[in-house]
Amino acid sequence: MRIKVLAFATFREILGKEKEVDLPGSASVKELLEALAATSPRFKEAAFEPSGALRDYVLLMVNRKRIDPEQDLSRILAEGDELAVFPPLAGG
Amino acid sequence: MLSEEETRRYARQTLLFGEEGQEKLKRSSVFIAGAGGLGSAIAFYMAAAGFGRIRIVDCDAVDLSNLNRQILHAQVDLGRAKALSAYDALSGINPEIEVEAVVERISQDNIKELLQGCDLIMDGMDNFPMRYLLNRAALESGRPLFHGAISGYQGQATTIIPGRTACLSCLFPRAPPPATFPALGSTCGVIGSIEVTEAVKYVTGKGRLLENRLLLWDGLDSRLEEMAYEPNASCRECSDVSAKAVGFTQIGQR
Repeated sequence: MRIKVLAFATFREILGKEKEVDLPGSASVKELLEALAATSPRFKEAAFEPSGALRDYVLLMVNRKRIDPEQDLSRILAEGDELAVFPPLAGG
Repeated sequence: MLSEEETRRYARQTLLFGEEGQEKLKRSSVFIAGAGGLGSAIAFYMAAAGFGRIRIVDCDAVDLSNLNRQILHAQVDLGRAKALSAYDALSGINPEIEVEAVVERISQDNIKELLQGCDLIMDGMDNFPMRYLLNRAALESGRPLFHGAISGYQGQATTIIPGRTACLSCLFPRAPPPATFPALGSTCGVIGSIEVTEAVKYVTGKGRLLENRLLLWDGLDSRLEEMAYEPNASCRECSDVSAKAVGFTQIGQR
């Protein structure tokens, strides 16, 4: 299954702005994020707590619509889905 | 009624929304939270556009490291309160409007008082705790909040209309950790300008607002992206006050 990953802000500096990830069989949002973390230690450090939990401020959008990381990490992705992942910007 | 001078001053934008639209801007009072990078761009364009009353609030003094982006302030303002320097700059651009400078730190204790008489809330802040404060004040009073934030070449913007859209906490339930962000003046210009465009549209009733839409600007790639979001049923801020806010008159939509 192929999923497009869009990264913004500091995550874009780590992952590049856009990448395609191939996952075997079906996969959840959480599994996709873990697959990204497995290939990029910098992303792992930026997006995950040392405990392994996703940092609570990370924003996730599936097909450009916000999902709730507290409830929707187990959502199963479909072929061609697009996951956007980014931290909020805070400067002014 | 616009004066003869105002008619001439705003001639190029009354082509967009008529003298009627300009009068709506003239009758609007805006609260600009912060006179930093974003606040500078916001304040300049709001003053020039003729928003009738501008209250700009900032507790800091101008530092040399601000001048790469905070275009309200000049070399001669170093050490002065930013709000006062903003007052001079804004009154200089447009003597037709009323500018009020407040040298104060916005807090839970004074926010209600600071917002008194203002119809719109402009986000020129540089941290999330302050933005949550603005968000709550917007929800409790039914005032629209025009959000923007930047870091380096990147920026984000959205428009919160209490009772009609999700709130800032629905979109950003948790704040990122405090940090010193890279800041480029032109990125503040892009995002501040988007916030002001939203405010102009809101007041004059033109176009489609950034309601439940987050705009993401990447200056390195010169690209804008849009993401959708919805009210969050478990939102700690608006799930209990939105019902109250719906009862408020939509100010600005006159």
